[in-house]
This record gives sequence, structure tokens and C-alpha cells, in this order.
Amino acid sequence: MPAMATPLMSARHAVSDLAQAMELCFEKGWADGLPVVPPTEPAVRAMLAAAGLEPDQQIAFITNRQVAVTAEKVAINAVMAGCRPAFMPVVVAAVEGIGDPRWAYHGPGTSTAGAAVLMIVNGPVARALDFNSGDNLFGPGWRANATVGRAVRLVMRNVIGSLPGTLDRGTLGHPGKLSYVIAENELDSPWTALHVERGFRAEQSTVTVMAAEAPHQFYNQLSSTAAGLLTTCCDDMRISGNVVGQPQYALVLAGEHMRTIAAEGWTKADIRKFVFEHTRNSVAHLKRTERLAGPVAPGDETTLRPLVASPEDILVVAAGGRAGAFSAYIPGWGSRKASEAVTTLIKDRRA
Amino acid sequence: MAGFEILDPTVEPRQQPLTYVARPESIKGRRIGLVENTKFNSDRLLQKIGDILIREYGAAEARMWRKHNSSVPAHDEIIDEAKRGVDVVVAGIGD
Repeated sequence: MPAMATPLMSARHAVSDLAQAMELCFEKGWADGLPVVPPTEPAVRAMLAAAGLEPDQQIAFITNRQVAVTAEKVAINAVMAGCRPAFMPVVVAAVEGIGDPRWAYHGPGTSTAGAAVLMIVNGPVARALDFNSGDNLFGPGWRANATVGRAVRLVMRNVIGSLPGTLDRGTLGHPGKLSYVIAENELDSPWTALHVERGFRAEQSTVTVMAAEAPHQFYNQLSSTAAGLLTTCCDDMRISGNVVGQPQYALVLAGEHMRTIAAEGWTKADIRKFVFEHTRNSVAHLKRTERLAGPVAPGDETTLRPLVASPEDILVVAAGGRAGAFSAYIPGWGSRKASEAVTTLIKDRRA
Repeated sequence: MAGFEILDPTVEPRQQPLTYVARPESIKGRRIGLVENTKFNSDRLLQKIGDILIREYGAAEARMWRKHNSSVPAHDEIIDEAKRGVDVVVAGIGD
């Protein structure tokens, strides 16, 4: 530790051993249901050093909660989540994202609709830190994917106060609330990477946060055309999520589907346009299925309501295993007007 | 293993002193503001409340504002206009 290190301001709790430390974290209500790594000062300092942050630096301010999220608290929770120090800049970027007014923390952090924070990592950092972008994409097995999302959720719980049953009122929630982190498979993707589409350079690294439902897997082991695969996708997707709210969507195209669609020269923009046009619902159908109020009126059969407000509200990501004719769409929370995906730069602040 | 210390991961929210305007003893002659949050039927519910406050309790008038969406606080325009133009505000959700 440097002699002149800025002091850490957090309260300290004495424990006799590792087991007691882990139990104390449960007793205090600091854990997510799984054991956490006890946050000692050396571990927290290593986390701060790896990100080049002073402990009192503010990472986000959550207006509705009047909570300043400092680097010290992010570091403590990142240690608890099991992060390596090298992951800290990614955690920080994600916390900046959920603190952005466009993400609008209060809604997705609190809502009964039970959103998780989907995080999509792009750029060289994703590969250097071994974020999974392939097999078992949303499943367990990769420390970076499992602990970075967990760290963000622990920050939400311990710093911002999003505790289930109080300020996190998710009716059902979903397993992504433990961790929901993927990387884009930029090495195999034929398409422009998500972060480049969203205004960053390819050599920069970013994390995109989107308030999101669970992934919905769709099957098509039959078609060998882009339109065929995406027709199936759209048929699955057309009635999903907050169907009348026009949220954003993530569309995660895995290896086989990715190659089939790309073989016809389709770009991500082509995919978005097709999906936008083929996921519209007639007002009549939305009324008959009790999603819109009122009797079916003349013209309702032919009046089409888009699932998303704009094709740009479909975030297309190349990720998932090389084998298997499956992909997934992920409905965003609520509506784009209430929360939108935010992409932040993963910064190297070390001097 | 020797004992050691762990750091507290939580924070206390910044304290916000809040003072409430005293409730009026009567709303007779008062101007009512209704803040609608965009949820389905929120506007109808609040309009009925406004009508009852006028018809049965003698309120002078009722006017409604619509928030940008249900997850955000009432925006500045609503707050500014409400400060100037109404005496009592009723806000509600519609589900």
C-alpha cells in the first residue's frame, strides 16, 4: 500500500476467520444468496489500483436515491463478487451506464416487471479478459461473465438500495439478475461490432447496458436463408415482452444462424429493417388478445403497430456457440422512452 | 488463520430534509392539480377524483398534467406550473 494512500472511509468489521467473514456478509444482508469473497482492504486497494481510481471518486449519482456511488464502494462489491482486479474497469463502466440518465435507474431498478442489467462487452478488453462470447453464452463457466454482472448487482443492492421486496419490486425477476454478461464474438462476426455501430472505434472497448428480460431462444433448424431464419425469429418475437410498450430488443445471433444470414450479404441494418417490418402486430390482434383496450374497430385489422419504435431499437449482437441452429431475442424492460441502452467506454485510468 | 477486518459495502443515502405544506382544512374553492403518470386508466381515475372534488367538496377547478412516463418524477414544467397555479395536488398510478 502506498504510504500516502487515500484512506478508505467504509466501516470496518472484525472477523476471526474466512468462514466467519462469509457468514457475516450473509447476516448483514450484503450477499445475493451465494457466498461472497470477504472484502479486505488489500483486495479493495488492488481493485482500485487496477482501475486507476481513487476511493472517493464518484462513479455514478442516482438521483432518485440521492446516492453517490464511489469507486471505493464499487471496489468493495467487486471483490465480494469474485472479480479479478483487471475486471474493475468493466464494472466501473457498467455502473456509469446504469447511472446515466438515459438508462434512468429508478424504473428498471425498481419495477415489478423485474428487469436485469444485460451487459454486452465489446472491443479488445472482452478478449483480453476472457469474456465468453461463444458456447453456453448465457450459462455458467466464465469468471469474467459471472463476476462482473454479479458485482454490478451487488452495487445495486448494497450501494443503491435495490433490495428485493423493498426498492427492487420485481414480481418474478429472472436468473439474469445474478449476472447477465455476454461479449460479442467479434472475431467470427461478419458484421460491424455493436460498439462501432454505437459510435465507438473498433479498438476501443465498451460495455452496453440494457434493462432486459430473460433471453428467449428460438429454433430454426430448417431454413437455409436469411429471410427464412428471421421469419421464424419474428414469429416468435412478435408477441413478447411489453408488447405494447415499445421497448428496445437485443437480438443475439449465434454461429449457424449468423453464418447463414451473412452468407447472403445481409448487414446488421438489413436484419434490423427486416425484423422491424415483420414484428408488427395488428391493432385488432392486440385488442382481441386483451393487450389493448376496447372493441375491434374498423381499420384495426390493417393498422399495424410496430413492436419497437424504430429499427435502431433492435441491438443486433453476434454471439453464441458455433454449432446449433438457435439464437435468442431479449426484450428490453418497459419502453424505450422509460429506459434505453447505454454504451460506455471501458477506460484505462492508470497513469 | 489470524483475525482480519472486512469493509462495509453499503452506504447510507444522503439525507434530504423534506417539509410538507400544511394540509388545507377544506378544499372548498381550492384549485386542484392532477398528475397523471401515463399508466392505463390513470387519467380516467384522476379525472373522476377531480370531478368529485369539484362536485361534492366545492373545489374551484381541476387541471391535469401528464408525466413523461411512469418511472420518472414529475418534470420541472409540471412542478413550476403547479406551484403557481394550484393549491392541492393529487397524484396516482393507474395499476
